[in-house]
Parts: sequence; structure tokens; C-alpha cells
Amino acid sequence: MSFATWLALAVGVFVVAPFVAHLLRRSRAEPKEFPPAHLVPVAEPVARQQSRLEDRLLLGIRAAMVLALAVLGATPLLRCSRLSLARSAGGSVALAIVVDDSLSMRARAPSGKSRFDLAIGGAKELLGTTREGDAVAIVLAGAPARIVLSATTDLAAARHALDQIQESDRATDLGAAVELARSLLHSLPHVDRRVVLLSDFAGGPIPKGEIQVWAPLADLRKPVDDCAVVSASSHGRRVSVSLACSTAQAARGRSLELVVTDGKAEPSSEDAGKDAKAAKAGEVVASEKLDMRPGDQTLSLDPPVLGAGLDARLSGTDDNRADDRAPVAPDSTGFGFGVYSDIATAGATTGGATVLEQALEALGRDLAVKPLATLPEDEKDLRGLGALLLDDPAGIAPEARGSLAAWLERGGVAVAFLGPKSENVQLGTTLEPFVRGALRWEHTKASSVDPASTAWLGAPGSSFDALAPKGRTRLDSALPDGAKVMARWDDGQPFLVEHATGRGVTYAVSLPSSPDQSDLALRPGFLALLEYFIDQAERRSGPKRTAAGTPWTFPATSSVEIEGPRGRAAVEALGRGSDSSKSFVGDVVGRYRVVQDGETSTRIVSIHSDEVTTEPREPDSANEKVVTGGVESKLDVSREVALFLLALFAGELVLRALRRARPKRGRRKTDVPPTREPAAGG
Amino acid sequence: MIERRLDWGELAPLRLSARHAADGVYAGAHRSPRRGAGVEFGGHRAYVPGDDLRFIDRHALMRHGRLLVRQFETETDRALRLVVDATESMAYRGKGAPGAKLAYAAVVAAALARIAISGGDPVAVDWIGGDAREPLPALGGREAFERVLAALETVRPGGDIRLDPQAVERAFAAVARHARRGAIVVLLSDLIDLPDGTLDRFAALSSLGRTLIAVRVLDPVEASFSFEGAVRLESSEGDVVVDTDADAVRQAYLARLEEVAQTWDERLAPSGGGVVRAVTTDPPVDTVREVVLAARGGGA
Repeated sequence: MSFATWLALAVGVFVVAPFVAHLLRRSRAEPKEFPPAHLVPVAEPVARQQSRLEDRLLLGIRAAMVLALAVLGATPLLRCSRLSLARSAGGSVALAIVVDDSLSMRARAPSGKSRFDLAIGGAKELLGTTREGDAVAIVLAGAPARIVLSATTDLAAARHALDQIQESDRATDLGAAVELARSLLHSLPHVDRRVVLLSDFAGGPIPKGEIQVWAPLADLRKPVDDCAVVSASSHGRRVSVSLACSTAQAARGRSLELVVTDGKAEPSSEDAGKDAKAAKAGEVVASEKLDMRPGDQTLSLDPPVLGAGLDARLSGTDDNRADDRAPVAPDSTGFGFGVYSDIATAGATTGGATVLEQALEALGRDLAVKPLATLPEDEKDLRGLGALLLDDPAGIAPEARGSLAAWLERGGVAVAFLGPKSENVQLGTTLEPFVRGALRWEHTKASSVDPASTAWLGAPGSSFDALAPKGRTRLDSALPDGAKVMARWDDGQPFLVEHATGRGVTYAVSLPSSPDQSDLALRPGFLALLEYFIDQAERRSGPKRTAAGTPWTFPATSSVEIEGPRGRAAVEALGRGSDSSKSFVGDVVGRYRVVQDGETSTRIVSIHSDEVTTEPREPDSANEKVVTGGVESKLDVSREVALFLLALFAGELVLRALRRARPKRGRRKTDVPPTREPAAGG
Repeated sequence: MIERRLDWGELAPLRLSARHAADGVYAGAHRSPRRGAGVEFGGHRAYVPGDDLRFIDRHALMRHGRLLVRQFETETDRALRLVVDATESMAYRGKGAPGAKLAYAAVVAAALARIAISGGDPVAVDWIGGDAREPLPALGGREAFERVLAALETVRPGGDIRLDPQAVERAFAAVARHARRGAIVVLLSDLIDLPDGTLDRFAALSSLGRTLIAVRVLDPVEASFSFEGAVRLESSEGDVVVDTDADAVRQAYLARLEEVAQTWDERLAPSGGGVVRAVTTDPPVDTVREVVLAARGGGA
């Protein structure tokens, strides 16, 4: 045993000794023989009562004083470890604190606290060691990375900003967060600039940069056992649940359960009447054991009830309880993509569905593609659709146009790939609301789309080169009022036009999807474009399920109220003028009730499985230039201990003074409890 | 049964102590204290069941409406029945006491025996508890005193009267059987641990004109409850253990102790007897004198 251990034991003896002495003093008296003992009433000794009330308090104070003295005496050996800011040259420091608020940070660290709490605690400790002249910025690393506080010397504002940060179920975006943090520090005049990354490193790599990244808290990077319900949705009578586990151990002995949450679950058609009474809130209506393996897995259950009132949850516990439950999204077939195309012209040479349908399926999104033979003339037939794709339409009849306009007003997204037929629309038909007036299909020498105009699509946006078009639809003369050109041919002609209509939006593409007319459908950018349309449709028409952190956009003119797991949520206004809109980001898993212009819908936020399956890691110090460890300084706490000791001493003095001032209690003569009647001769 | 030697303390030897006590009381010619059938009227007392109906004073009955028995001085001898409590509690000797309670009771009993034998009255000894020795039958003369002394000197205290309630019954049954009319029955005990009904059985012996006297012998600690502060008290008989605050309960204890004596006193008064209260620090001669006075009708 070390010297410190012996020292601790000795201190322990000093603390325990008074307590033992107290117990001995309070021990019962030796029994004395006394023949008429049965005539003596039982009475609690006054001294014992006093010792219970007063001596115990004194004893506690004295024991604490002994401990405090021991700690004070051991100051050269014993110090408290805290995260602090070491100053290399004594000058001011510019600090960008990156706090990871992703789902994986909600896991419990070995210390019992959540990683997120540890990170916030570390950030506060760092802030506590800053001084006037230091600049602090705060960035959150939950996807998408975002700035909470730009670099400021107002340390009170920084503390306030830290207090406002909440946990979320977002994905991780470490790279972007670090880049954001570096950009915030870049323009500061401070010589000493640092990025502090408080994360579990369960995300992408850290980009190299001029400003070094410092990852001080190793506890955040300890692996955990976690299983999560990634998403759950009903398909017909079945409920499909996607699960993810970090380790096989996390799945041991656990089951997936479907539980009724609010009584909205309704008996499925075949079981109607039979199990209707079983749909009570809190009742488990189906369960299935998990496979004991790490990674993703999908379970399918057949509950006796269906509806919006079901939750999927995992039995048992793990290190992250925040992701053990998720709401079941209603039947995804209710939200779909209508595709109106001519198989004869838009079909693939190899057969099968049209190019558009195949591309939508290839996206792997949870979509229900519905081929349409004709455009519906009743708006009700369009209500189940989130988006409508028209491939080379030969005009839209007035009835269909009316229903389409009404559907767009309610938030629909319609896309028209305009081809040769657009030039020869049938009598009485037009291509409104996509374009206004007649169109012209022309042969062109332009073969590529200007990559600068498609940069908003990301890297795939540059793939629209050498499209080899046999022609294109000339859109410039038919743009409706308020239309916005989103992409242009390399000769400046519009390639993609967006036009907001009510809560909805229309897009007109100047090429059809048919490979016979161009190579558009063969380019990666084509899928990116479709994804963009899907995202727009999901944002506007109310997606059944989105990942945490995905923004929901609403027209600026709409009245929107949202109530989620954290209660009523604030909807943020974005932009000004015609570009203005309202946005809300659901960053916590759960069911959200959205009331838009009086219409109520339910949206569901789910997690990303990578948050569970991606293991925390130690940063690669060589490639990522991340500094770890060696930053936990030791802080002398002797001053605090000495003050505490003084307070204890003062407390004892006060207590003694009070006891002296208190008049001594008289012996109780009247409160003797009665005993049995004396035996008169027995 | 627990047996141990009697702590005689300063009361030893019994012979000298008893003689000293008796000599202090004995004064000249002995006059039989017995009242009953005789020639010289000796006063009235209340009727108790068993009294000879011939001596009921019908005039007093008509005048006062109460049954009274006429008493007469008699020339006959009056037997002395000593009932000595030799249970475990009587072996107690507290701090400052000259001897155990049983030793003190033995001195008083021996002195009473000497006085009775000197007057020509027979003396018998019965035991409650003790080493279960046989009772000493009524005997007179010099030899009788020696035998009483020997019995008292060799008694070993012991026994838990609560575990053997029949011990009292046996002792009193012998008295009821052998004590003649007008006998004086003296119970020497601490009156503490006696079983339920003891007083009733003892009072029932008052028939046939017997005089019942109880000498309550207490140790000074028992009489004054001289403990202080928190104490744990354990009875000699039974398994009674009491944790208490002595200062707080002293008065309550003393009141209960006196209540016991009062109860005995009230029940024995109709027989012409009563309770003589004695503490082992009291001079035995005083206690003996009180017993003699009580036997003569002077009250206890």
C-alpha cells in the first residue's frame, strides 16, 4: 500500500474514533439486580434523548472538521482536476468550442453522466478559466453543423449560450463543425487560437487546418452498448421497424415491442371487434426478439391494431435510453409520387418501368411510386400524392389543370420534363401552371448545363455536361410571373425553372427523361435533381418521417403551429420578400402535430442509424492533427477547504453557544408512561 | 432452582441478634395476646367467615347493623406461626445494608420465637421458597427455640416464586391445617414477587380468630430507590428488565411500593393485624416491638 493509502486509513480512524466513542458513551447501562424491578416504570432517559439530538450534530461537525483538516494538510498531494485553459504566452486566447449535440452524445459515459452533460460541463469549466480579452465562439456539431455564438469577448453571453444548448437526436457532422469553428476564429487578431472539440468522434474525419483541434475529454470516446429504434412505419397490416445496435451485447435478451400510446390505435380490419378492447394506452400489442448481433436489422410485426397511436420500443436498458423508442409512422403508401409518362417514349430500351419510375426506385427512398395513365381531373385523387412528375406531357386539359392548381395550393410539388410534345399541345390544353403560353422544341448546339448554375446540387450538379440533346424546350419566352431560373444551359437559356404556386411549387425542366432525347437520365445529376424534388415535396406536403435535423419549410404566408415532444415549438421566419419562408427543425425523435392554415397533420422525426452503429474512436493525431490528453490541469482547492473548515468551526461555536443559552431541561416527573398495575401480594 | 448462601452480614450471629432483639421487647410478665373464648371480655372485632357464631354480639348487631364478634382474654397459650419468604428476592442485599433481607427476617423471626417460647407459646415455622425444607411443626420449650434457630440459620434462599406459585399455597395450607384458634400468623416477606392471589389466600387464614401480621422487609435501596440517572434494572425473579431514568421515575416507584403495602394493610386489618414496614437498616428490636404491638392489637 502506498503512503497515501496509509494516510487515508489514518484519517479514517480519526473520523471514526469519535463516532465509536459516542456509541460507547450512549451504550446501555450494565444491568443491576433490583427485585422490585417490575414496579419501576419504563422511561426514556433524558440524557439519552439529548445525546440523540445535540451530540449527533456536534459529532458530525467534528468529523467533518477532521476530514477538512486532513484534506487541507494533504494539499501538496491532493488537488482537484478540472479542465482549464493553459496559456502558452500569457496572452489572450481565441477559443472556438465545438459541442457535439448528436444522438450518440446522449449515451451514458462510464462516470454515469451523459456524454452531452460531460461536454457541456467541460465547456463551462473552460469558460470559467477564460479572462477578459479572450474570445469565445460556440459551434454545434449535430448535423447540420451550426453556429450558436459567433466569436465574442462577451463571456457572459457565451455562458448564456452554453446554458441554452439542448440535447438532440441529430446525426453527426464533425467535419463541417470544425470548419465552421476555424472560420469563426480565422479573422480574429488573437495569436493563440484553438478549436476545442467536445465530441465522441463517432462521425467523419476531422479536416486538417491551420488551427489545431484539441479534444480534451477522453471519457466521451469510451464505447457504449446501445440499441436503437431507427424508424418504424406501417405497411398495410404490418409494421416494419428498423433497428440498429452498436454491439451484440446491447441486443442480448431484448425485444422489440409495439405499444399503444394514446388510444388512437384502431383494430386492423380483420381483427376489428375481436381485439378492439385491447387497444389501451400503454398496452404492448406485439413483440419480437432482437437478433443478438451488431449493426442494422429490420423486424416486421403484425399487431392486432393499427394507426397513429403506436410506438415501437425496446425492452430492457442500455447506455442510451433516448433512442429506445420511436413512433410508428402511418402507412407510407399514403404519401407517394405520381408519375405521368408515356411508356412508349419514356421507357427504357431494356424494358420494364419508365426511366422516371426506375430512377425513383433507385433512390432507395421510402416512396410509393404511382404510375398515372391520365392526369386526375378531381383534386381528391391527387391528395394522396406528395409530388407529381410529368414526362413530356402533351398539354393539360382544363379539368386536370383545375385539380392540379388546387392541389398545388395545398402544398404539392409538380415537375414537368418538357419534351417534343410540348410544342404540339392538343387543342384546348396548355402546360400551365408550369409555363405560360406556347412552347417551342428547338434543336440546339448547347449540350451542357452551366455547372455554376447547378452548384446548389453539390458535386452531382457538375455532371450535366455533354448531354447530347436532340433538342430542348425553349422556356425563356414562357416563364410565368415570379418564376425563378434555377439552372441554365451553357448558352444562358433556362434549363430548370421554379415557380411557387400557393403553398406548392412547380418545376419545369427543358428536357424530357427519355434517353432517346438526351443523356440527362444517365447523369448522376439526374438522381440528385430527383432527390431535390423529393426533399421539396417532403418539406411542403408534410413528410411522414424525416431524420432529426431536417428542416421543414412552410410558405411565409402560412400560419403554422407545431407541437412536439418538447411541447409547443417556435417556427422561425427565414428570408425577406418573395424568398421568405418559415422553417422548423425537429431535432428530437417523436411525433409532431403540425397545424398549417387550420389543417392538422402528424409528422415524425426519426434518427440516423449511423449514430448507433458508428463506434466512438480516438482521433488520428497524425492525420487529423488533433491534440488529446495532457490538458487537464490540476487546481489547488486549499482555499475552499480552509474556508469550509472555518465555517465548520464557526458552526460548532454557534451550536455550543446556543446550548449554553438554552435552559436546562427539568427532570420529567409527570410524563412517566404507565406500566402494569402493581401486584398487591402478587 | 437457584440456591445460594444467605448473606448474614452484620446481622450474624443469629442467636445473639435474636436474643438482643427479644430482650429489648420482652418486659416482665408475659400476658397472652390471644383474644377469643375466655372469661374476661376483651372487646369487639369484625366478624370474618369461620368465626364461632356463638361469639357474635347480637346487641351490637342490632345497634350498629354490623356483625361483630366478642373477644375475651384467655389463659390458654397462643401458637406463633412464622411464615418466612425465602425466595430469591429475599437474598438481595443492596449497598449500605447490614445484611440480606432474609437475614433480617430471620433475626426478627427468631426474636419473635424467643418471645413466644418464653411466654410458653408454641412456635412453628413455614417456608415460602427456600431450599424446600420441611416446615417446622409447633413446638414449645427451650429445645423449640434451638430448633427454630437451626432452621433459620441453615435456610438457603432460592427459587422463583413466579415459576412455582404452589409454594405459597403449600405454606398457607399448612398454616390453615395446623394453626389453632387464636394463633398469630406472621409472614416475613418483601411482598414484592409474590404471585397473584397471595394476599387473598393469606387473608383467608384470619378465620378461627387468627391474627395475621405481614412484616414487609425491604433493602434500603428498594425502600429509597437510590439510583441516579439512566439505569437498567433486572428483577431477581422472573425476566423483568427495565431501562429507565431513575430520577424521573423515583416518585412513581415509591408510590407503587406504598400502594402495595397499603393494600395488604387494609386487607389484614379486620383480623386485628396489619403490615409492619421494615428496612434492613432499622434496628431489629424496633421491628419486633412493632410486631408484638400489632399482635396485641396495638396496630401495626
